[in-house]
Amino acid sequence: MKESLKRIWSAGWLNFKRNSYLSLGTTGVMVLVLLLFSALMAINFLSLRVVSSLQEKVDITAYFKSNATEEEIMNIKNDVSGLEEVVRVEYISREQALEGFKASHAGDILIQESLAELDSNPLQASLNIKATETSQYVSIVTYLEANKFRSLIDKINFYENEEVIRRVESISGGLQNWGFILTMALALVAVLVNFNTIRLTIYNQRQEIEIMKLVGGSSWHIKAPYLVEGGLYGVFAAIITLVIFYPVIYLASPKLEILMPNASLMGYFVSNALQYIFLVFSAGILLGVISSAVAIKRFLKV
Amino acid sequence: MIEYRNVCTTYEDSFRALSNVNLHIKEGEFVSLVGPSGAGKSTLIRLLTREISPDEGQVLVDGVNLADLSGGDIPLLRRKIGTIFQDFRLLSNKNAFENVAFALEVCGASKEEVESDVPKVLGIVGLGSKVKSFPHQMSGGEKQRLAIARALIHRPKIILADEPTGNLDMVNSYDVVKLLLKINELGTTVILATHNDKIVNSIGRRVISMDSGKIVRDQVEEGKYIL
Repeated sequence: MKESLKRIWSAGWLNFKRNSYLSLGTTGVMVLVLLLFSALMAINFLSLRVVSSLQEKVDITAYFKSNATEEEIMNIKNDVSGLEEVVRVEYISREQALEGFKASHAGDILIQESLAELDSNPLQASLNIKATETSQYVSIVTYLEANKFRSLIDKINFYENEEVIRRVESISGGLQNWGFILTMALALVAVLVNFNTIRLTIYNQRQEIEIMKLVGGSSWHIKAPYLVEGGLYGVFAAIITLVIFYPVIYLASPKLEILMPNASLMGYFVSNALQYIFLVFSAGILLGVISSAVAIKRFLKV
Repeated sequence: MIEYRNVCTTYEDSFRALSNVNLHIKEGEFVSLVGPSGAGKSTLIRLLTREISPDEGQVLVDGVNLADLSGGDIPLLRRKIGTIFQDFRLLSNKNAFENVAFALEVCGASKEEVESDVPKVLGIVGLGSKVKSFPHQMSGGEKQRLAIARALIHRPKIILADEPTGNLDMVNSYDVVKLLLKINELGTTVILATHNDKIVNSIGRRVISMDSGKIVRDQVEEGKYIL
């Protein structure tokens, strides 16, 4: 058994080595396929970051009437915090709201002068609520509307933001669905290109396969070295892919971060390096072995 | 040992290659199959390796009807037979040693057997110095001797040679025939398909003449090339 495996391995390796031009071409095509897979993974990561940063920007605020006490507002905060769909509730007192307003309009003299002339703080206390999913804001608003302290709430800005929230939801959904379909379609094309390249490589060796059959080689004895050869295309293609891909994302990542500050492509591929390397090697080897197995089948019928 | 019973073979293009062929070849015989192109010589050989199956009739080797063999049994049949072709059919990516070794390895020989037997057989066919040469580095005669070494290596009971001298000059052709005769002397049945009259006449063994898919003459002893 051990001797037989050694023989299969050595025959596969020799075949790979001696058909150097064919092996180079096939490995090259497989590198392109694996680079495409890697690029699709990067695009998928970036689109998820876009979706999550859009979702991150969406929240609702409940503004309280000026007669609402801090204790009453804190009761409502506790109630809302208890909801499953709520990630975070932040209380902003009237004073904090005023401070914030002043700070954000520090350069606007007209506003600063107007505020100085006012006797009392015109701003309202509020609760800023962040949900897990944008689709959950409706149920949070419904809860607030039905709350026993409803009379203390002056307004909830959900109704003004409703259209924006719906649009964000639709963009997120579209990005995820179309991204998935596009990824699958490109992956399918890549697999077909790769399969056909290996099929042509084996087609070039069909006479050799026929000869092996005629001198008494069993199907397995003939097929196994070709499977090893297919696997070797995958291994070498994976190595070349990694050698190309990491420097490319190393260079591209800072430029992308200018556009999307929270999306560190390099960080993502470094923190998931083991999974990514495993995936590239598995995809390469599986593609090579399966394509070889399918391609050789028809030439074994002598 | 080998028996054809009322064998008829038609190819896909409706060409009738064999019509009602009956033939019996005994163990250890040297048989020359002669006839013009398209007479059915190669078809008789291809039937023996189960490359094709007859439309009618039976082909038997050691009493086993080849039509009854399963897909997994065909390699076992082929390991009993050594085949030599006009176009050599060598594995171009393997050197002389590896070409011969492959035929031995498929029979399950150990590494030690391969390493000791292959150089011996290459020596017998006069290729002792070409062990590491690839087919493209060899002359036609050397290629055919390599094909003979491959056919011999697993000590088959039958050697089938389909126009083995077709691509060779006279000197190399006689060398090949001498080798086949030597193999036959060791007890191996040899079937030689050829249309080289000089070669056949020099052998002086059984000669079966074929024409249009039929056996037209069977000279059991001291046969000559007659159509």
